[in-house]
Amino acid sequence: MGRRVAARLGQAVVVVWIVATLAFVLIHAAPGDPFSFDAPTVSEAVRAHWRAEFGYDRPLATQYLLWLGNLAHGNLGYSHSMHEPVRDALAAALPRTLVLMAVALVGAFVLGILLALFQVEHRGTRRARWAGNVALFFYSVPDFWLALVMVLAFAYWLPILPAGYPVSMATHDYMAPLAAFVDSLRHLVLPALTLVLLTTAGIARFQRNELLDVLPLDFVRTARAKGLSERQVVRRHVLRNALIPTITLFGLSMPTLLGGSVFVEKVFAWQGMGWVVVNAIGLRDYPMVLAGVLVGTVMVILGNLAADLAYGLADPRLRVD
Amino acid sequence: MEAVTLLDAVPTARNRCLTFRHDLPLMRLRRFFACSLPLVLVAACSRGEPTAAPVEGPDGGTLVVAEPGDADNLLPPVTASILGHAVADLVYDHLAEIGDGMQTTGDVGFKPQLADSWTWAPDSMSVAFHLNPRARWHDGVPVRAADVRFSLALYKNPKLGSAIAPLLSNVDSVTVKDSLTAVAWFHAKTPESFFNIVYQLWVLPAHLLDTIPPERLATSETVRHPVGSGRFRFEKWDPGSQLVLVADTGNYRGRAKLDRVIWAIAPDNNAAFTQLLSGEADLLEIATPDQLKAAASHPALAPFVWPSLQYVFLGMNFRDAAHPAQPSPFFSDLRVRRAVSMAIDRHAMLRNVFDSLGAISYGPFPRSLATADTTLRLPPYDPAHAQALLDSAGWMAGPGGVRRRGGRPLQIRLIVPTSSAFRMSYAVLIQDALRKVGIACDIDAEQFPSFFAKQAAGNFDLVLAGYGTDPNAGGAQQEWGSDAMPPGGLNYLRYSDPRFDAMLDSASASFDAAAARRYASRAYQVIADDAPGVWLYDAVAYGLISRRFHLPAMRPDGWWQHLADWTVPIDQRIDRDRIGLGSPTH
Repeated sequence: MGRRVAARLGQAVVVVWIVATLAFVLIHAAPGDPFSFDAPTVSEAVRAHWRAEFGYDRPLATQYLLWLGNLAHGNLGYSHSMHEPVRDALAAALPRTLVLMAVALVGAFVLGILLALFQVEHRGTRRARWAGNVALFFYSVPDFWLALVMVLAFAYWLPILPAGYPVSMATHDYMAPLAAFVDSLRHLVLPALTLVLLTTAGIARFQRNELLDVLPLDFVRTARAKGLSERQVVRRHVLRNALIPTITLFGLSMPTLLGGSVFVEKVFAWQGMGWVVVNAIGLRDYPMVLAGVLVGTVMVILGNLAADLAYGLADPRLRVD
Repeated sequence: MEAVTLLDAVPTARNRCLTFRHDLPLMRLRRFFACSLPLVLVAACSRGEPTAAPVEGPDGGTLVVAEPGDADNLLPPVTASILGHAVADLVYDHLAEIGDGMQTTGDVGFKPQLADSWTWAPDSMSVAFHLNPRARWHDGVPVRAADVRFSLALYKNPKLGSAIAPLLSNVDSVTVKDSLTAVAWFHAKTPESFFNIVYQLWVLPAHLLDTIPPERLATSETVRHPVGSGRFRFEKWDPGSQLVLVADTGNYRGRAKLDRVIWAIAPDNNAAFTQLLSGEADLLEIATPDQLKAAASHPALAPFVWPSLQYVFLGMNFRDAAHPAQPSPFFSDLRVRRAVSMAIDRHAMLRNVFDSLGAISYGPFPRSLATADTTLRLPPYDPAHAQALLDSAGWMAGPGGVRRRGGRPLQIRLIVPTSSAFRMSYAVLIQDALRKVGIACDIDAEQFPSFFAKQAAGNFDLVLAGYGTDPNAGGAQQEWGSDAMPPGGLNYLRYSDPRFDAMLDSASASFDAAAARRYASRAYQVIADDAPGVWLYDAVAYGLISRRFHLPAMRPDGWWQHLADWTVPIDQRIDRDRIGLGSPTH
């Protein structure tokens, strides 16, 4: 197991390097640079001064080597869009995205598995078909549209939840600890729920198919022959065996959620990685874009690695040593 | 030139490029304006007129501004963002404050700020500023004349790279007569000497900044926690998240009436508007027509008018887009430029894009400028005359309806930033208008960095550009003067006319405001006759604000200029207004 993990980590380093290099070349190939932002009062001479100050006037190869050297020393550079070292910007944005993703992932998988169970237990009925159609609806709608509808519904028409920001900007710092925690939770509800609704249908559909694949197997027939109810058969015997492929899906959901969170973060003013990186791309903030790509790549790789390892742990037949 | 940027779009990031979405059908817009315009006018009447007296009211209250774009920097000489500019105005002080009349000649209309009085030398080549002895930096250190001397030296230091430095070129130096008297010396006696030193220069604390190399200042940690002398003091800045100022209770000019101002950073204008609708925020500084319509029925929100010093125009490149050293094959000919001007129905386009909320531009200046002249003779809309002009210039009707001369089609490329939906709408309308007179216009819509790169390199035939100008007569020189050619200047069209330069020089040199206006008018008429651009619209902004705030007038150089005098009546306060100035609990 240890060698396998080490090998995968070695591959991961190569993948990260390739992706980061590609990102470096592509972002530099785009027109403009960090100092070509919209400020008609800033003369070209001043912009040239700033470019020289940050080394953006040097040949691309030199800039690449400098960037690699700094990266090796843990120096991610200075973010021109966030106006602080990239490390600090990441330290603020990454936890927000991770919290949102973690809640969304757990929520989506719990809800998706429950929905799949409901559909299988009631297969062939009108209720199951309706549940499937509702899930399909949420699966089909664009993420930004759903996010806007959620805001309209729960922050404007029925104003029971805040429309955005991770906390109440004005009052959060002055709340008692418990009230501040509740405030954070209230702000988390709408963006997390949006991501959950968008992701649940896919998980439910996948899980339902897995459940249906397991249902005809012999051990299920045996369980029924023992006199167990259909509900007991499905929950105790079928579900456990059908959950194993879902572990893989858990790891593979990382990039999907990362992509989806970009729109959700924008609509809900949730200052996470998606927002920061998209903003950085628009402003040609090279260090921030590259750091974002690195973080995204590492997250996807780690998600897949964790899924692989968990898969092996959950199913002894799949362990390769 | 003022360090704020173009207006016809909503700020999306630090670059504050404004992106209005214009997607309402015309009939819907008309209905909306029929409903909302009275509201706007009411707001303008009740709040829009400049008043010298501050709003009376009790201290306290929290203003949350939904801000679609963060500050770029909090160091006044290098900030280029609107938020950075606002923080500079609120946290730091000038030596004197320009009055609401925005007069720039002499010291008429200026009010004491850090300097409680000033004395001119008999030859007007220097002015001694007598600092208020009660003025303190927010860390308690007294403000002294040495701070003024340090500030000017810093602004002018090329290692800092301040965009404001050229605007202080007439100020030679500041000397310290005594700890409370700073003497500013000028190279030449000009009407705007006083304006230059007091409007462009925020006084900075020498004791905190003089140990940091100028080239490192912009990114230094010290600058991220500005210490000024203004009526608001800096509390915190979480980049990409929020920026907080609080009232300086011991300020020598009196504490700000509001306790706290929070800029809550949103990813874009729509997200910011959502925060406003939900009550999470109190103010959106620039609202789109569709947002104004949506907010018209909101009981807690009121619109306000924010005049600006920005205007948008269709510019014609005097150089060949492919070979900038050579003259343009199209627009070096006055007849072609005038033909383009006469092919475009500016008023119809304005109605199409803005309905009744637009403000037509009268020339290379915003209407709020003291020297603005709304009576200039501009080329009229006359497509038939435009076609005749093109015929006389040798561009004859060709196959496909596109004119040709010597086998070359009259096919031009218009660059426009995608960040501005207004300008995108204009681009389509202009393309159609030009097609009708036989000019093929390709729209080259680009993200702002790409747009800017092409504009700066002269890689365009036509450009939908916007300029923000200084409130002085000479402001237009920075965009249209012969000395403002790229790469150092902003005259991206490479327009040059010595008559225009001379007239504006005379306007800048005149001590008589009426004479300055006359010279400026003549300069504007020269450029109007030269037709390097089609003057499309003034960027008058409409914002939205919670009705619980009582506010005095808005000034064109920033809605926040009188923010320290805004109040919230006690009976209208909500939870966040009652926090007070206590420390956070965690």
